[in-house]
Amino acid sequence: MGLYGRRRLANYLMVSLSLAATAFGLLFLVFVLGTLLKNGVGALSMTLFTQATPPPGSQGGLINAIFGSLAMTVIATLVGTPTGILAGTFLAEYAHGSRLGEFVRFINDILLSAPSIIIGLFVYSIIVVPMGHFSAWAGSIALAIIMIPVIVRTTEDMLSLVPNTLREAAAALGAPKWKIVVTVTYRSALQGMLTGVLLAVARISGETAPLLFTALNNQFFSTDLNAPMANLPVVIFQFAMSPYADWQGLAWAGALLITATILCLNIGARLLASWSGLER
Amino acid sequence: MSLSLATRSPMPPEEAAEPTAAESPLPVKVQIKDVGFRYGKFEALKNISLPLFDRRVTAFIGPSGCGKSTLLRILNRIYELYPGQVATGKVLVDGRNILSPGLDLNLVRAKIGMVFQKPTPFPMSIHDNIAFGIRLYERLPKSELDDRIESALRRAALWDEVKDKLRQSGLGLSGGQQQRLCIARAIAVEPEILLLDEPASALDPISTQRIEELIAELKSDYCIAIVTHNMQQAARSSDHTAFMYLGELIEFDVTERIFTAPRVKRTEDYITGRFG
Amino acid sequence: MAAEHIIKSYDEELNRLNKMIVEMGGLAESQLAAAIDAVAKRDSELAGRVVEGDAQVDELERELDNLAIRLLALRQPMARDLREIFAALKIGSDLERICDYAANVAKRAIALAQTPPIQPVHALPRMGTLALALVKDVIDAYVERDADKALDVWRRDEELDEMYSSLFREFLTYMMEDPRNIGPCTHLLFMAKNIERIGDHATNIAENLYFLVHGKALTEVRPKGDKSSLEVVTSDRAAAR
Repeated sequence: MGLYGRRRLANYLMVSLSLAATAFGLLFLVFVLGTLLKNGVGALSMTLFTQATPPPGSQGGLINAIFGSLAMTVIATLVGTPTGILAGTFLAEYAHGSRLGEFVRFINDILLSAPSIIIGLFVYSIIVVPMGHFSAWAGSIALAIIMIPVIVRTTEDMLSLVPNTLREAAAALGAPKWKIVVTVTYRSALQGMLTGVLLAVARISGETAPLLFTALNNQFFSTDLNAPMANLPVVIFQFAMSPYADWQGLAWAGALLITATILCLNIGARLLASWSGLER
Repeated sequence: MSLSLATRSPMPPEEAAEPTAAESPLPVKVQIKDVGFRYGKFEALKNISLPLFDRRVTAFIGPSGCGKSTLLRILNRIYELYPGQVATGKVLVDGRNILSPGLDLNLVRAKIGMVFQKPTPFPMSIHDNIAFGIRLYERLPKSELDDRIESALRRAALWDEVKDKLRQSGLGLSGGQQQRLCIARAIAVEPEILLLDEPASALDPISTQRIEELIAELKSDYCIAIVTHNMQQAARSSDHTAFMYLGELIEFDVTERIFTAPRVKRTEDYITGRFG
Repeated sequence: MAAEHIIKSYDEELNRLNKMIVEMGGLAESQLAAAIDAVAKRDSELAGRVVEGDAQVDELERELDNLAIRLLALRQPMARDLREIFAALKIGSDLERICDYAANVAKRAIALAQTPPIQPVHALPRMGTLALALVKDVIDAYVERDADKALDVWRRDEELDEMYSSLFREFLTYMMEDPRNIGPCTHLLFMAKNIERIGDHATNIAENLYFLVHGKALTEVRPKGDKSSLEVVTSDRAAAR
């Protein structure tokens, strides 16, 4: 077989292997989603959104868990986003080549890949123990700590993508540095930064381990942030491992809800990116 | 006569400019004196001295890496955005040295406008793009602001093309229009000096000609310095030309003389395409 | 010029331009030499060949103009290159005029050969040789791009002009002595004028060469030795000689 023939064969082999690998990966994804749908759809109903988690054996819903997850996610976002963005701005705009910048970036990378259970344990020891009880505040803080490194990273990356000539153009007009950052650089990187925030939110939507140590769980519907609060991941944890069928059904429904939320957030992030692309 | 590079001393401006008997000597807007520039260990500019005349266009030509853009960026101290870059010497604008450390940098930059090689409209509407610079230092009522914006756009030969879409994003314009927008933005703050760093090199020939025509019109109000790697553009647009090589000023003279009978052999070799 | 252009074809075209000028110069020299010879030897055949040869020079000049225009349009020449092309255009035109004058001299030589020989005719070849030397030297100066040689030619034209002035007086005197001499002497007058014009064109070439080399024009006032235009000759003065 000539050189060309050998190459064609090698090409064919590699393409087939790549396709097989892709199919393999997709297969599991489809499998997971399919299982979720199959088991979760059955438990979907309006009561999910109107009733709180029931004791085993009775009818109920997930409203307390949904509310809890929402509330803690919102608070975590409110705390984590400004912190993350400001830290990212510092790294991208003010810390060129400085030792402090290198150090902050290094720590951020470590935190980014820290196991979430460690973070939960940390918040437990500095907030829950002094307070004396679990609370939604502690849960939100734990989630914020997970969010911050993600936002710092994406903010820094997006800001670095803004070409220097844009900053120079603003500086050449006599704009002071902070003004350049706020009115020109942020505006240019806005879509990217928002995408980063959305992805961070998607990340924390499914975090379970930190909440185990901080917000724990609550059987009843409660809006007291100072007390333990129900949330979807822990509820799923509790219900899925129980022997009760109705609890298990609710767990599947909860899992489906979380998955759907993350899916929507990701799609939203993509739409945001392409919408900004269209505008240009 | 040809002078070797080693013994060459910078040409004193009076001798080089040689105004004719009919003209009185031209007013000097910017006097560059013994300017040097270093980043890290590399000396990018050595002992540059030359005048920039008011209401005239001075072009800087030379092969890549000769330091012409570096020199331009010293004139409005934009190099200070980056650490490790040091400029020495004096740049006297109307007699005051703008390189002295005590000066308010932003005020200096507001008097000296710059347009870059790649058009850089801000991600805002056309109106806001131009208002950005004005709003930095002036508090104007809306109608006056609009008038200033219109005047800047008219002088940049862009008004007719954008007067109906002032609220649209500046990024939606073509390359030539974006560059004219950047020029309008620079002149809207009413600077005294305009620095143009290869303003037409990213544009097609027709847009390039429009920019050159614009420069010819703007010349009557500003002192303009333009860096270009296109010698024909320098020949067409400028009154005086400075040829630089490896960080040194080789020759500075009236444009016509540089391109018909330059005094230094290296200048001639460069402009006739024998090296560079 | 020591260094070559980065684009080799540019150098080749400039060299072609140079060669054309040198070729035209050579033709000018040979045409003029042959015309003078034809006068001295009363050789109508030689003169006829000179007249026919003028067409070749005209053709060369057209080619030169085309090449120069091409270079101007396509190469955007600057500084010395621009001066080379500009000088080539003007020198080509001057050389073409020199050849025209040489052909005119040859034409009149044919006419002159058909009349009985007269005494003043010997003065003309002397003048022609002087002009020929000017042309030869200025072409040499061009080949060597030697501005000093050009300056020298530029000054020597005065001699040619003075010779023309004295020939002018001589021919007038001769014509006034005997009306039968008027015909041939008139031819001789025109021929002398043509040769004097050849000298003027040689100085034009010298001026253009000076500009090419130095980049500025020759501003000295050229010494003019031709006083014939101010000359008044009456029969009384002729009788007095």
